[in-house]
Amino acid sequence: MPRRKLIKERVPTPERPPEERIKDFKEVNLGYTFELAVKEAERCLQCPYEYAPCIKGCPVHIDIPGFISKLVEYRDDPDKAVKEALNVIWACNSLPATTGRVCPQEDQCEMNCVMGKVGDKINIGKLERFVADYAREKGIDEELLFEIIPKIEKKGQKVAIIGAGPAGLTAAGELAKLGYDVTIFEALHEAGGVLMYGIPEFRLPKEVVNKEIEKLRKLGVKILTDHVVGRTVTIEELLEEYDAVFIGSGAGTPKLVNAPGVNLNGIYTANEFLTRVNLMKAYLFPEYDTPVYVGKKVIVIGAGNTAMDAARSARRFGAEVTIAYRRGEEDVSAREEEVEHAREEGIKFEFFLNPVEFIGDENGKVNAVKFEKMKPLEETDARGKRKIVGTGEYITLEADTVIIAIGKHPNRLIINTPGLKVERGKIVVDENLMTSIPGVFAGGDAIRGEATVILAMGDGRKAAKAIHEYLTKKREWQNA
Amino acid sequence: MPYKIIDKKELAMNEVWYKIHAPHVAKKVQPGQFVVVRAFPNGERIPLTPVTWNREEGWITLVTFIRGKTTMRMANELKPGDEILNIAGPLGKPAPMKKFGKILAIGLITGIVEVFPIARAWQEIGNEVTTLHVSPNPMVILKEEFEQSVSRHIVEGFDLQPGWGMKEIAQELVKRAVAKVNELLDSEHWDLVFIVGPAGGQKAIFNVVKEYGIPMEADLHPIMVDATGMCGACRVTVGGEVKFACIDGPSFDAYKVNWDELIHRTGFYAPLERLALEHYLKQLQAQGGEQ
Ligand SMILES: Cc1cc2nc3c(=O)[nH]c(=O)nc-3n(C[C@H](O)[C@H](O)[C@H](O)COP(=O)(O)OP(=O)(O)OC[C@H]3O[C@@H](n4cnc5c(N)ncnc54)[C@H](O)[C@@H]3O)c2cc1C
Ligand SMILES: Cc1cc2nc3c(=O)[nH]c(=O)nc-3n(C[C@H](O)[C@H](O)[C@H](O)COP(=O)(O)OP(=O)(O)OC[C@H]3O[C@@H](n4cnc5c(N)ncnc54)[C@H](O)[C@@H]3O)c2cc1C
Ligand code: SF4
Ligand code: SF4
Ligand code: FES
Repeated sequence: MPRRKLIKERVPTPERPPEERIKDFKEVNLGYTFELAVKEAERCLQCPYEYAPCIKGCPVHIDIPGFISKLVEYRDDPDKAVKEALNVIWACNSLPATTGRVCPQEDQCEMNCVMGKVGDKINIGKLERFVADYAREKGIDEELLFEIIPKIEKKGQKVAIIGAGPAGLTAAGELAKLGYDVTIFEALHEAGGVLMYGIPEFRLPKEVVNKEIEKLRKLGVKILTDHVVGRTVTIEELLEEYDAVFIGSGAGTPKLVNAPGVNLNGIYTANEFLTRVNLMKAYLFPEYDTPVYVGKKVIVIGAGNTAMDAARSARRFGAEVTIAYRRGEEDVSAREEEVEHAREEGIKFEFFLNPVEFIGDENGKVNAVKFEKMKPLEETDARGKRKIVGTGEYITLEADTVIIAIGKHPNRLIINTPGLKVERGKIVVDENLMTSIPGVFAGGDAIRGEATVILAMGDGRKAAKAIHEYLTKKREWQNA
Repeated sequence: MPYKIIDKKELAMNEVWYKIHAPHVAKKVQPGQFVVVRAFPNGERIPLTPVTWNREEGWITLVTFIRGKTTMRMANELKPGDEILNIAGPLGKPAPMKKFGKILAIGLITGIVEVFPIARAWQEIGNEVTTLHVSPNPMVILKEEFEQSVSRHIVEGFDLQPGWGMKEIAQELVKRAVAKVNELLDSEHWDLVFIVGPAGGQKAIFNVVKEYGIPMEADLHPIMVDATGMCGACRVTVGGEVKFACIDGPSFDAYKVNWDELIHRTGFYAPLERLALEHYLKQLQAQGGEQ
């Protein structure tokens, strides 16, 4: 067969223009149509499975050329193409509509894509998202699910999952498919974890998350919202009723800047700001009851995904937004696409500024932030980032709202469980993700600190496998 | 996870009592703990305190003071048989159950409902508890329940004057409370003072108590969102450290609390809360107009 000519340029996905999208919370990127997806899929070189660098880069090792090829192979039958592709993806990843949107693809699957040597890398994230979205809209994902359900063999053992974030949801799904009776205990009134309360609608529509949760319910997973483990029920009590427990409680405790004035009014942690905006829908206030205060000038401290989400949300309230980061541009940890979108939306970036004081008025309301100017050194730290030092020079920027997005610690209520080994706030696990308490497993941000959705899901899947092995042994014992 | 309202009644002007089926809370709640209620699909999450409960039958009771949109909407729209969408909890640390000796437990207006489970439990384990309820007269509640449960229950009621607004009521409340507490501290020995009420009133009472050097605990009510420790809305400065009232509290050593900061922080949303209330009242009017 003659070789096809390489198509060097990415097929772009349509995006809403910045001046339009900053007026609402609707999704920014509109994703591929089937035709466009096939065109992009055709660019893939179909590297052999053992070699494909994209598969190696994906933390859950999706057979990327495998699913992409289905789109081309069945191009005359879109439904079939998507069903086949989804089947390939589901073997490793049960939330592709989410990961396709939020994975840092440039550091993972797309990082070493071979096409990058001659042109643009394959847009793996958007293809994955397309498959999931098309499947959801056409009910193909449910079709596939209903083919799985009757094959499930009930095991008669019960597993409790703490937290309904990506780690907990994935573990629950996998365990349900293996035939376990699964109950999720979630503190908030909605399942989804950061996907629900943190990541905004314009990046990950809540409908997408809700559909995933509906599918879990169809698999027989019970979700008890309003249950705060450590208060409503303890891990010890769960162990009396359940054969195993998985902790996926995330890293929800916000870090605060250690500087005077941090409790002034108008200073939010990103978690509070985003929870008000996303989970409680403060952008629809007063139709929705929860208020949020966004002034005219907003400063966001930090430069991760959380900072971008906070900044872009604040922008949608009409504010002038500045991101202030104590390091340089090269250390910005947010996804490339988010930084680009933030810039397009008119968000300003200030680098090498470290907050040292929040200045308020006589009513205890913030009106400015004092920063020390920092400078980088040649030396690097353990993470390979250039070290920074203060210059002794200061600058004060006006702000009537400040959002602190400098990271989070693991949730506190769980880590106080007697007998649970914890180091620097993170739950300690062995290679099977089992904690120091037999039968209790953990994964996601609870063991890693702030990480990513796909790593949390990877842990959920790995823990499900380990729990399955553990419970299989337990069954064998009991039957012996 | 909806929770059925078993019964509901108006206890006094602007004070509504609900008996709700919430077995997960009833099973575990201890005096000093609270719950977070989300009553409507577009509603906010508000902290409220179980006043009584039955672990076997699986119910709790809540009393709300109608302050703004959510509490008013609950009073207007929820009937026995209806369901409350979410009740999370129990939350917060239980009150310390120790023998302190002679305790003065103060509740300002509806704050008295939160005093009830704690005062009763303190009395049961051998403390000598005096409760003091300071409130405008049509809002005196739980009088008999207290009289049956503690050594002595004092009601410092006052009549509302025509033309008084919230500000005047609050001023009178604080004036009465300060005078009564002064009198009690002057005439008797106390081992602990405990208080639930608006931050301004708590601070005024603290200023009296500290003159006598009596240990004092205050149940703080900063604004809360999740109440599970993940947002920091409820942060308060206690002993120079930032604490999250929802998981480190809600009760703290009054001597260590930064009162002015707390007062500022609880008042921050007042203009927006007023807007929400007005919006709701307009909706009510429009509905009334249609009928
Ligand atoms: C604003 C923001 C943007 C982000 N953007 C990205 C992105 O673009 N890409 C990416 O890959 N990652 C991103 N991340 C990181 C990613 O969301 C997390 O790494 C991931 O969600 C971790 O999943 P998890 O399941 O471990 O925990 P979480 O998602 O945090 O879920 C934990 C769940 O447990 C519940 N819980 C906690 N304590 C208890 C308890 N005691 N009892 C019961 N339930 C409890 C919580 O309410 C929550 O629902 C972002 C994070 C934030 C905050
Ligand atoms: C631990 C705790 C226990 C409480 N227990 C009770 C109780 O048993 N009975 C009772 O009537 N009230 C209780 N409250 C106060 C109650 O939460 C508020 O009255 C309620 O939130 C008012 O809502 P609203 O919409 O009616 O009024 P709004 O108009 O929204 O607010 C009026 C005032 O209530 C306070 N408030 C508003 N929203 C919140 C919030 N999310 N969290 C905390 N305070 C808020 C603020 O001071 C505000 O200015 C408690 C508060 C806390 C923190
Ligand atoms: S899960 Fe994430 S890293 Fe893996 S292929 Fe999908 S987008 Fe890429
Ligand atoms: S590395 Fe790139 S070109 Fe090769 S299979 Fe993966 S996506 Fe296709
Ligand atoms: S209310 Fe969110 S941390 Fe306390």
